[in-house]
Amino acid sequence: MGFRSFLHRITAPKLSKSVENHPLKLVLVINHSLGMKKGKIAAQVGHASVQTLLSAGSVIPHIVDAWLAQGQKKVCVKAVDEQQMNELSIKAKQANLHISKTIDAGHTQIPKGSYTVLAIGPGYEAEVDEITGHLSLL
Amino acid sequence: MLSVDDQLSMALLVRNDLEMTPGKVAVQCAHAAVDCSLQARKSIPQIFEMWRNTGSRKICLLALDEEDILYWKEKCVEVGLVHSIVRDAGRTEVSAETITVLGVGPAHKTSLDDLFSNLDLYGVE
Repeated sequence: MGFRSFLHRITAPKLSKSVENHPLKLVLVINHSLGMKKGKIAAQVGHASVQTLLSAGSVIPHIVDAWLAQGQKKVCVKAVDEQQMNELSIKAKQANLHISKTIDAGHTQIPKGSYTVLAIGPGYEAEVDEITGHLSLL
Repeated sequence: MLSVDDQLSMALLVRNDLEMTPGKVAVQCAHAAVDCSLQARKSIPQIFEMWRNTGSRKICLLALDEEDILYWKEKCVEVGLVHSIVRDAGRTEVSAETITVLGVGPAHKTSLDDLFSNLDLYGVE
């Protein structure tokens, strides 16, 4: 564990009843190197979001419920390639954030098995921003 | 192995008359997909599970404007398909309560194809 996430772990507010009052968000990181078209990106981000809803829903249900109640805030950003996505997912895991990877079935546009989207969250906005804040919007 | 007739899919109709960035469109589509999933999980759990287990197919289609979206929404009500209209909160690019996307399904691909046969694919160029 890095020093920062260690600090975070001891100073972060415990997940508790106050969850509703803190803005939560889900960040969807697109693999920009694949050159996907708009419609393809939308479908992949849709996959990633539904996947997150189901997996995070069973691990951190109170966070997911609060996120849905707040209007399910989502932000789309881009990563240059798969390597950067891997680095981001490691950092997100270290910060105890939920992650979900979307791998394309390859029916259209891009090769089968392409790593298209990394979903980080839903989590507290400040915590998620620490990992993805430097990435540019799509 | 499922036959083509049994394939399940979800359609996401995106308004083409709004100037939205690709990221904005993606997020709006994701809202629709999540809303439809939440509904389907309750109302048609077997279809929902089957859709999830067969790759959660999604397709983005092109809707002209708000009127077009509302027209297709009515059609969904008539046919009895799970659907969800996304109204943007208006924090960014578009004004509040703007209708952006209509999500339909998961449903049998054949019934979606029948209904939306006239619509073009969204964002393939």
